Amino acid sequence: MNTMSAVASRSEFQRAWGDLRVTLRLRDGRTVLEDLRQDGCLKARFPRPVDLAEVTTLNTSGGVAGGDRLRMAFEVGAGAAACFASQAAERFYRALPEDAPARLRSTVRVAAGGLAEWLPQESILFDRCALDRVLEVDMAADARFIGVESLVFGRALMGETVRAARLADTIRIRRDGRLLLHDAIRLDGDLATAMARPAIGAGAGAVATLLYVAPDAPARLDALRAAWAAGAVEGAVEGGASCWDGMLVGRLVARDGAALRAAVASGLECLRDGRALPRVWMC
Amino acid sequence: MPAGIPMRMTTMTTIITTDPAPLLRLLAWMSPAFPTGAYAYSHGLEWPVDRGEITDGPSLQAWIGDILRHGAGHNDAILLRRAHRAAGDFDALVAVAEMALAVCASAERRAETIGQGNAFLAAASAWQPVGLRRLADRVGDLAYPVAVGALAGAQGIAEEAACCALLQGFAANMISACVRLVPLGQSTGLAVLAALEPVIVAVAAATRTATLADLGGFGFRADLAAMHHETQYTRLFRS
Repeated sequence: MNTMSAVASRSEFQRAWGDLRVTLRLRDGRTVLEDLRQDGCLKARFPRPVDLAEVTTLNTSGGVAGGDRLRMAFEVGAGAAACFASQAAERFYRALPEDAPARLRSTVRVAAGGLAEWLPQESILFDRCALDRVLEVDMAADARFIGVESLVFGRALMGETVRAARLADTIRIRRDGRLLLHDAIRLDGDLATAMARPAIGAGAGAVATLLYVAPDAPARLDALRAAWAAGAVEGAVEGGASCWDGMLVGRLVARDGAALRAAVASGLECLRDGRALPRVWMC
Repeated sequence: MPAGIPMRMTTMTTIITTDPAPLLRLLAWMSPAFPTGAYAYSHGLEWPVDRGEITDGPSLQAWIGDILRHGAGHNDAILLRRAHRAAGDFDALVAVAEMALAVCASAERRAETIGQGNAFLAAASAWQPVGLRRLADRVGDLAYPVAVGALAGAQGIAEEAACCALLQGFAANMISACVRLVPLGQSTGLAVLAALEPVIVAVAAATRTATLADLGGFGFRADLAAMHHETQYTRLFRS
């Protein structure tokens, strides 16, 4: 034990590893599970569907620390429709300076005529966290994708500030083999000071990105803008949206996690025709 | 006169290593008179001006400093550098050009970089931009920093000089827009430009070893400004 600690960093002993693969197919008009593999700390649950087939992901390690490695691969077959949600908000704990960032790689493949909804709950970043996350979406020309990523910087109610962070959070979308979007949130340094700056956060504590990639994306832009304009009145959240190339991109900057969640929910309601959020969001 | 010979040789060497043609090209292409249509874009700054968030030199300097460090400035510097280095490798250049279109943060931002990139190619035809034209044929639209970087790389212009010139031009263009919008005096605008020198130098230095994997940013409200600009009631600028 002593000889091991001489060569390994402290957190190396606690590094979590997980690998989750879920494949869904359309069979007799219903989206069904075709293949499931779960290794390490990542599990999937399949709640009884309300509208879409629902996949709930669980990280049994109880939060993400420096050096953790998590892989998820989801496949939605031709004509199938599924919603992926995380059971809880994910916490990204403090990493040691010598730790590699937690590495999270998720892929979502959507075949022709399919629909994938990527609706994880918030990622809560703790002071000195180190995170390298990539979501890779590979979709057919006529497939649809709806996604959200929410970042909450510290727990405001507990007076936490994120002074330092190593953050790289990337969403990459390929449609019909062509690179459509490479959206990367990156910062290596004093996050709270950066968020205070006028062109960054003007003192906000949470941000989110919403994506809607489908042929009817342009038709949804006005409704999303209107929903967020109503929320902006109270001053807790600023939301903007833009649409090009059959893709709608929405961005939220909010005072805290609660204001962010309310705006994310109203945005998703717009984009999902009022369908209820996955039940895990309500717990 | 044996002493005179080495002196003359030294002089000749100096002339060869400081071939002025690349500098002349860079000055021509980066001049505000070069017809890229840059004057029509405010990079979304028309929105914070309209909201009363940019009212003077210090508030303008803060916004542009953020955009240079955490927004399009940082990304454009990386894209220019990668395009410059890929000038002789067509497949690598295509990858940079496609990535440049995928990192745009809004519809108007995309129109801003494509409008200037395509105009740059057209205006540069006097310099025979053969490789750049081939790139445009392949990827369709050219992002501005890719167009500048690829042509600079193909025509012997130093990467560092091109990168600094691009960042300086970008900052000067946003300042010029705000001088008209706020309005601010010329001397205030020039003071902001002078004050941003260390930021430009820092962004150039920070991107020197960057790859496409380092693209990204943190300029959330600058991105929101570009999105809000699309529905702004009165607009003098296209972005």
